[in-house]
Amino acid sequence: MKNGEIIRNKRLKDNYFRVDFYSPELCKQAKAGQFAHVKICGIPNKVLRRPFSISDVSSEGLLTIIYKVVGAGTEALSSLKPGDTCDIMGPLGNPFSPSVKSDIPVIIAGGYGAAATYLIAKNSPSPGILLLGARTAKDLILTDEFKRLGFEVKVSTEDASEGYGGRVTGLMEELLADKNRRNMKFYACGPHGMLMAAGKLILQHGLDGELSLDHLMCCGVGACFACVVKVKADNSDGWRYARTCKEGPVFKASEVYYDLEPE
Amino acid sequence: MKIDLNVDLGKLKLKNPVMTASGTFGYGFEYAKFFPLEKLGAVVVKGIATFPSHGNPTPRVVEVESGMLNAIGLQGPGVEKFLHGEEYLPFLRKSNATIIVNIWGKTIDDYIEVASRLEAEKKGIHALEINISCPNIKEGGVAFGTDLKLAHKVVSEVRKVTKLPLITKLSPNVSSIKDFARTVEDAGSDMISLINTITGMAIDIETWKPKLANVTGGLSGPAIKPVALRMVYEASQAVKIPIIGMGGIMNADDAIEFLLAGASAIAVGTAIFTDPIAPLKVIEGIENYLIRKKLSSVSEITGKLIINRKKG
Ligand SMILES: Cc1cc2nc3c(=O)[nH]c(=O)nc-3n(C[C@H](O)[C@H](O)[C@H](O)COP(=O)(O)OP(=O)(O)OC[C@H]3O[C@@H](n4cnc5c(N)ncnc54)[C@H](O)[C@@H]3O)c2cc1C
Ligand SMILES: Cc1cc2nc3c(=O)[nH]c(=O)nc-3n(C[C@H](O)[C@H](O)[C@H](O)COP(=O)(O)O)c2cc1C
Ligand code: FES
Repeated sequence: MKNGEIIRNKRLKDNYFRVDFYSPELCKQAKAGQFAHVKICGIPNKVLRRPFSISDVSSEGLLTIIYKVVGAGTEALSSLKPGDTCDIMGPLGNPFSPSVKSDIPVIIAGGYGAAATYLIAKNSPSPGILLLGARTAKDLILTDEFKRLGFEVKVSTEDASEGYGGRVTGLMEELLADKNRRNMKFYACGPHGMLMAAGKLILQHGLDGELSLDHLMCCGVGACFACVVKVKADNSDGWRYARTCKEGPVFKASEVYYDLEPE
Repeated sequence: MKIDLNVDLGKLKLKNPVMTASGTFGYGFEYAKFFPLEKLGAVVVKGIATFPSHGNPTPRVVEVESGMLNAIGLQGPGVEKFLHGEEYLPFLRKSNATIIVNIWGKTIDDYIEVASRLEAEKKGIHALEINISCPNIKEGGVAFGTDLKLAHKVVSEVRKVTKLPLITKLSPNVSSIKDFARTVEDAGSDMISLINTITGMAIDIETWKPKLANVTGGLSGPAIKPVALRMVYEASQAVKIPIIGMGGIMNADDAIEFLLAGASAIAVGTAIFTDPIAPLKVIEGIENYLIRKKLSSVSEITGKLIINRKKG
């Protein structure tokens, strides 16, 4: 098998696909929250790679990525066949800090966020809780996989087509209201607005949490300053732009600068 | 046969003609894990100003057909951190790379100040590249690169405060590149580099909003190569000083076109985002081309474009 060779590439649900690449070196180093920067073969006239969270790695050297088809790159990726090969950079970025035995990991996810946080659940010494939000039921992914790891799974949909009707932060508030829950450590990955809301809630309750903030990326290694988000800083503005590819994508909820205006 | 890849840019000698384009290679640090930086003809760092700067709001980049638009807005650490921060100049000095520092400012005094600071601590710095052409800075940048008098003034003022070899990076967003090439040569620039990005934009037809927060941005990548090549050709006809060509170079064949058009050296930019080792592949490809053409040195192809103009 060649490095970057596709072993399988199948539809998971609706517009979500799962691809397994042979990538033994990356698998050895990869940690939850890091990403792979993939040069998708067979797309003409495109110059940029596409970043994807490392969803799972196996001891046989298989790297799993779960992706949603949203544009030309992911469309091309979904039509690749076993045997096709992509150039993959990674693992890149800073990982989530692993959860310890005394923690109850609480994962807040939206969209592909469930894929980006799957490795936390898999490596966690104690089972935790997944709060998964989506616009509608067909965007809810990996719920069975998390349940198999012993996680309690609660879902929310904005159109109330499954689970709690509303946003995932609604589920979060219910959980935070339950005073019997202790030692919760939060991990969040999803759309920017959701992350900002989750981060603020975590801080309001004086809890510990990490957010995976991503942004459109170019170089993926910290050289171009394309992928920045605002983090708190010791300067007259109170913030600076941090590169999500190098200084993130994982940031402590307490590091993030919560802007009044949406990004 | 030993192929001679050395290039002589007057005051600046390089071991091969391949440099990195400013802004696409950070400060070298991030790419040192991919290959030894000393293999490059030169490392050109991202633009440095006297002051630290946030850069533009996001989104700052968008991919377009055969290229990308960027409006990073020169986010950077400022010259003092560049001189002393461990991921910046101190690291580059240790790497043994040939280092070229790209500088910018909002006023002429800014340019003078940053050049003076670099002159004062120039150990390991091989040349300065004056960026008068960034399309994403409202206050100054572009005005310098599109106004002949201001371009002359910036270069001649910087010339007074440094003995380092000076490269002036020209904007393609002008109607006559020849005039700007001649002006900066006259102002004392030792070399010219071109092209910087071409101003462009992209619109989201669902939201009716521009795809970049800055509304407009600079186009780079394969889409701009024909324009860049024409400008390198025209500039090389207009001046005697050496030319560093760039704009959409993705591989050695592209680089060779620039050399033939009149560039003595070239820079690889956007291609690094596609493949971090693209500059090394270009060096290797140029060497193989020279072997195939039974030539012994890269200088044998600079400006060797053959034009037989037919009558009628
Ligand atoms: C660190 C990181 C991890 C990621 N992990 C995953 C993952 O595990 N699974 C997954 O499906 N996607 C993930 N993404 C998003 C993924 O990179 C984009 O969806 C992909 O690049 C789109 O490429 P495209 O050519 O199909 O779409 P394009 O034609 O480039 O864009 C189509 C649409 O997708 C949006 N888009 C593009 N890039 C991003 C982005 N980075 N974030 C949000 N929206 C984007 C564009 O704004 C546009 O509206 C991740 C992004 C980052 C930065
Ligand atoms: C993300 C990005 C950032 C850039 N930043 C700078 C910069 O700081 N200073 C500068 O002189 N040019 C900058 N440029 C322009 C490049 O150095 C180069 O002139 C241009 O991109 C054309 O080459 P290319 O098509 O090979 O990328 C930047 C280009 C890109 C794509
Ligand atoms: S993508 Fe280039 S700095 Fe993050």
